[in-house]
Order: sequence, then C-alpha cells, then structure tokens
Amino acid sequence: MTQEFYVKTTVPGERRFNRRDFLKMGGAGLAGAALLGAAGCGGGGSSFDGTLVFSNGRETSGALESLIKKFNQQNQDITVKWRQAPSQSEQYFDELRTQFQAQSGDIHVMAGDVIWPAQFAANGYILDLTDRFTDSMASKYLDGPVAANTYEGKRYGVPWYTDAGLLYYRKDLLEKAGFSEPPKTWTELQDMAQKIQQDEGVKYGFVFQGANYEGGVCNGLEYVNSHGGSVLDPNDASKVTIDSPETVAGLETYRSMVETGVAPQAVSTYDEPTTEAPFLQNGDAVFCRNWPYMYSLAGSEGFKVKPEQIDIAPLPAGEGGQSTATLGGWNFFINAFADQEAQDAAWEFVKFMVSEESQKEWATVGTYLPAFASLYDDPEVAEQVPTVRLAPTALEMTEPRPVSPVYSDMSLELGEQFNATLKGDVPPEEAASTLQKQLQGIADQAG
Amino acid sequence: MTVNTEKKRRGGFLKREFGDPERRTAYYMVLPALVIILVVAFFPIAYATYLSFTSATVAAPGSFVGFQNYTEMFANEDFREGLVNTTLFTVISVTLEFLIGLGIALAINQAFKGRGLVRAAILVPWAFPTVISAVMWRLMFQDQVGIINYVVNALGIISQPILSDRTLLLIGSIGVDVWKTTPFMALLLLAGLQTISSDVYEAARVDGANVLQRFFRITLPLLKGTILVAVLFRTLDSYRIFDLFWALSNRELESLSTFVYKSVRVSQLLFAQGNAASVFIFVTSFLLALFFIYGLGMQTSTEE
Repeated sequence: MTQEFYVKTTVPGERRFNRRDFLKMGGAGLAGAALLGAAGCGGGGSSFDGTLVFSNGRETSGALESLIKKFNQQNQDITVKWRQAPSQSEQYFDELRTQFQAQSGDIHVMAGDVIWPAQFAANGYILDLTDRFTDSMASKYLDGPVAANTYEGKRYGVPWYTDAGLLYYRKDLLEKAGFSEPPKTWTELQDMAQKIQQDEGVKYGFVFQGANYEGGVCNGLEYVNSHGGSVLDPNDASKVTIDSPETVAGLETYRSMVETGVAPQAVSTYDEPTTEAPFLQNGDAVFCRNWPYMYSLAGSEGFKVKPEQIDIAPLPAGEGGQSTATLGGWNFFINAFADQEAQDAAWEFVKFMVSEESQKEWATVGTYLPAFASLYDDPEVAEQVPTVRLAPTALEMTEPRPVSPVYSDMSLELGEQFNATLKGDVPPEEAASTLQKQLQGIADQAG
Repeated sequence: MTVNTEKKRRGGFLKREFGDPERRTAYYMVLPALVIILVVAFFPIAYATYLSFTSATVAAPGSFVGFQNYTEMFANEDFREGLVNTTLFTVISVTLEFLIGLGIALAINQAFKGRGLVRAAILVPWAFPTVISAVMWRLMFQDQVGIINYVVNALGIISQPILSDRTLLLIGSIGVDVWKTTPFMALLLLAGLQTISSDVYEAARVDGANVLQRFFRITLPLLKGTILVAVLFRTLDSYRIFDLFWALSNRELESLSTFVYKSVRVSQLLFAQGNAASVFIFVTSFLLALFFIYGLGMQTSTEE
C-alpha cells in the first residue's frame, strides 16, 4: 500500500523530438520496429529454464534482496531474478496489464497491491491458487488480506505484508490536557482536539488524507464503514448499497472535521507526505490518520516531533458503529500465461516468501507489517517493530475496499464524491445518492 | 503551372514528378520519413479511430457501435469539464502570452545596454521542464509552506486554500503557463522583428508617420507571418495540455488530455470513450491548424 504513495505524480509525455532527430532515428527506428515485431510474437511460448522472473517495486531496506538470495541458495534448480517495477502502484498496474493483454508469460510471479486481485482474476490474468493456498494454510494469515485476495469464492493471491489506517496522536499534548486515553469515537476525537487546540494553542486538531485520489478513498471509506455503511452488499457484490443513512452519517462526520475547525480547510488537498508535515515536521497537529510507515519517520532529521511524543491507536468508531481501518498491503500473484513448470517454481518461491521464518525476517529487517498472524504475538518482532505491537487491535478491524473487477472505475467516483463532500461542495445525502447511481451503473456494466 | 501546359506534357503527373532525376532523389530522401510517419503516426491514429467506433475494452475487442461512444463522451461530465477547461485555458493563456510576448519582443528589439543579458534571462522559465515548474508552483500554492497562498491570504484576496478550488487552480495554471511560455513567444516574435529592415521605418519616419502608425501600418503587417506561426504553435501546445494540469493540481483539474489518460489507462470501462476523446482532440487540433493556414492565410512554404 505505502508504495503507491511515495511518488505522487506520473507524467508521461514531455518527449519532444525535432524533425532532425526524427529523421536521424529513421533508419534505426525501422530496424527496431522490425525487431520488435519479431520479438513481440515470442511472448507466450517461451519454455522455462529455471530462471524465475519476479516483479516488484523498489525496496530500500534490503530485506527483499537478502530473502531472494536465501531462496536461491536453498533451491539449486530455481534462480529467482527480481525485475524492478515502477514504484508508483498505478503505473505498475498499468505495466502489468499491458503485459497480460499481450498474454505474455515473461514475468512468472509478481507482487502487487491488495486492490488488484479481482480485476486480474476476472480477466483470467492470474492463476487460481485455491488448491495450492489451502484453507489450512490460509488460516495462518490475517483474515482481511486473505479475503481481499478472494474473488468469487476462489483465492487468487497470497498475502505478503499488510497495511491499515492508524490513528497517530501526540501523547504529550493529551497528557497535558488531562486525557489519559486516545479517543474511542470520532466525536470524542473532535472534543479532545478542540480543547487542546484552545488550551495549548495548537494549530490543527486532526490531519488526514482528504485529496481526490486513492488515499482519499481509503480515508472516506473509514468513515462510511465505521458508521455501519458499506459500498457493496457483502453477500452480493453486484449490488451497490452505499446510499444508506449510515453512509450519510459517516460523510457528515467526515465533513464536520473541517466545519468544526478541527481539520484545516486545506485537508481536502492532503496526501501522505502533506500530512506528515503538520503532524511530525512542525508539531502543528494533535491527531493524524496515516499508514504504519509513518511511525519510523518520527524524530528523523528536520522533524520536530520525537518518537516518545507520539503513540498509535485504532481509528475511532462512528456513533453506533465500530472502529474500521481500510486495508492496504502487498500480495503475490502467479501469471496465468506462464508455463506449468514456471508456475510450479513460482509457487515454491511464494511459499518460501510467506513462510513464518521469511515473514519474520521481512518484518524485523524491513519493518513491514507481516501477514502471518502469529508473528503479532512474537516478542522479538514486537520489540523491533513498534507498529506491530500496536497494530493487532487496529488490524482486527480492517475492511477491504470493494472487491470488484472494475474497482479502478469505482475508485475514481468514490474519490471524487468523498473529496467534494469534504470540501462542502456536495452535501452528504447528495454524495451518497450520486454514488449509488454511478457505482451501480459501473457494477452493471461489469456484470 | 496551368492546366494547359500540364496536358501538353507527355506522361502527365508521374512523368513530371519522377522523370527529373533531381526530383526523384528528393522523393527517395523523404521516403523513409514518410514510411516512419505512416507506421508510428498514421497507424495509431487510424487504429484509435477504428476503436472509437467499437465497444472494445482494454481486455477484449468489441462490436461496431457507430457514434455511440461520441454521444456518450459528450454526455460525460468529466469530458465536458475537460473541454471547457481546455478551451478557457487555451484562449486566455495564448492571448496573454501573445500580448506580453509582443511587448517584451518590442522592448528587447531596441538597442540598450545589457540587452544580451536580458534576452538570456527571460528565457529561464522556458528552460524548466513543465513538470518541474508545475511541482514548484504547486509548492508555492500549498497551504503549509506556500508563499503565494500565504501572501494572498494575508492580503485578504483569497480566504480558501488555493489548491482546494478548481477555479483557482485553473487561474493558477494559466498564470504558470504564461510565466513559462511567454519567453518562447517573445523569442519567436523577436526573430520576426529583426527581419524587418530599418529602412522601412526610416522611410515612414520621413513621411511623418508617428509611433502608432508605424506599429499598425508596418510592424504588424510585416510580422503577420511570424505571429501566426507563434500563435499556432502555442495554441496547439496549450490545447493538448496534460502535464501542467496533472502535476500542478495533483490530477484534480480535468483537461481533454487528462480525460483521455484517465479513460484509457486508469479506468476499465471508459476505454472506448477515451479513444473517441483522443480522436476528437486529433481532429479538432487538425482543424485548428487548417484554420490558421487557410482561414488566416498563414504561409507554409517559401515556394512561389
């Protein structure tokens, strides 16, 4: 999940040739085109020679490289080669989709975002892993990520690591104001924030990701879900259920964050890095909603707020609802167009990567939240990864985003309406009924 | 060449064009370029046009649906917003760039000390890649660290955060584009100004023409060709605006090109509409160019 938020802007284009360059390239271009044409045909039929191509985005901790090395040493007949993918998840998705459309089996196994399985599975791009990733195996992993990899009752992906929205708060400020516990409901959060804003002169009460993009969808859904609303009928994914009093209540709470002055007006333009700035860098905010990755940034150079000043809690609950965090995370998929042999080798690699031992190394070295459930009780992991210590309660309440083969279309609409509500441009009732109409239209088209 | 003389020649058109070895060589030399244009430019356009008349999705080919994608596209609110934004952006920014650019060109066409330095300095904004300047300006518009946001708030001109308002974002984008591309316009116009011989002005001055008369009777008519080229370049460039909107507004501001990108690359269902929109952009920019060439009498070659 976090991967998709670091690099914000994709800008294809800005490629300008002048006429001379163009002519110079002429000969080379023709030859190249001929070569490409020849190479393009060879996609599907390549036979597996023991080199397993694994695609994943940038990984800076070094944990992935060391795990791949370990696997290669343990398996004489399989060599895993890591092909680096774009670190921005939207671009990576696009690249994979292009490969799949060409029915290419070049990439055998890939890691990918938790919102992809349904889209890939519906098009027959990735392998049905139900027989391999058995019930007994799946039961060892966190429920949310397993559910997110399930499409129409079949499991298409294996959870690698997970991510969930968390409430960060300034322990020191809460103590000073006489609060011994973080807020349990959104209303409590607003009351506490307002009191601290007044008494201590803190600029903002609460910052979160309200911009019109995927992160904004995650934030908005947390309000809808924590008030008891849902986007799709849990029993029938083709039925949209977003137009409900619960959704309206959730969006009203969302909007009230700005109306009460708890959140700055500009919160409707914030993404992850822009929420770090007021909360960690300047110490201007009491509460902040963000992903687990932010914890490790506290106290880093140029950041005013130190790790001992902050703590994490599950996100607040809505009135009459419960605490909900949007699920993020990364998973393994196997290419349906790859050779049988390659698919078997890929499964060996996936099994290795999600084994308890690898997951532990991945968590402690890479500070990712493991998908292997029992690691949350492991004292060694808890000691080295502070977020793991605090995450279990938050992770229990995760909610996947709508599992749909056309999720990207739904996401565009959800992002737009949530953002407009937050800005005050569209009243919550109208947003809910507009979404109902648009999303049902999308769901029908997909069906 | 009249029709009569053409008929008298034996072999007609082919003989005339290819009989002369010099002409033949010329054709051979443009042939590779033509082939490449056919392959890399014509084929994608033709294919997109074909797709825009079918119900194809990213994953599967579709059946022929006539103009349905186009009617749906015009009914799509995002497309209409993109069309309005693109039109406003193109008209306003090109007008401003032309007026300011012409002013600058006239100013630096005069002889004064440090003219070389000024000419080099005004080119600085043009040297930035669009993405860089867009991100730079986004930071200046931002509410936490943005200087512009701070200043306009302090002066009481604007009370809301700039980045949260689409109208303000559009105004901001026009401002950034004017800042960035006026130097290009000025430079093109300056080149045109320098081709006008000073003798003409001399003569006019002797005849008693004042500054305004000299500007409207001599400078503008003689500069017409340059102006048309410069304005056409900028118009087509602004009309296809993508990166500035995308980076400056963080995908919030819709243009025709961002609509195409979102439909073809992000969405699963709008693929056909996206193709229709890309064909729409192609056809309309082609018409724009034709209007400049035939409607406004722009010279396209130095022959005859």
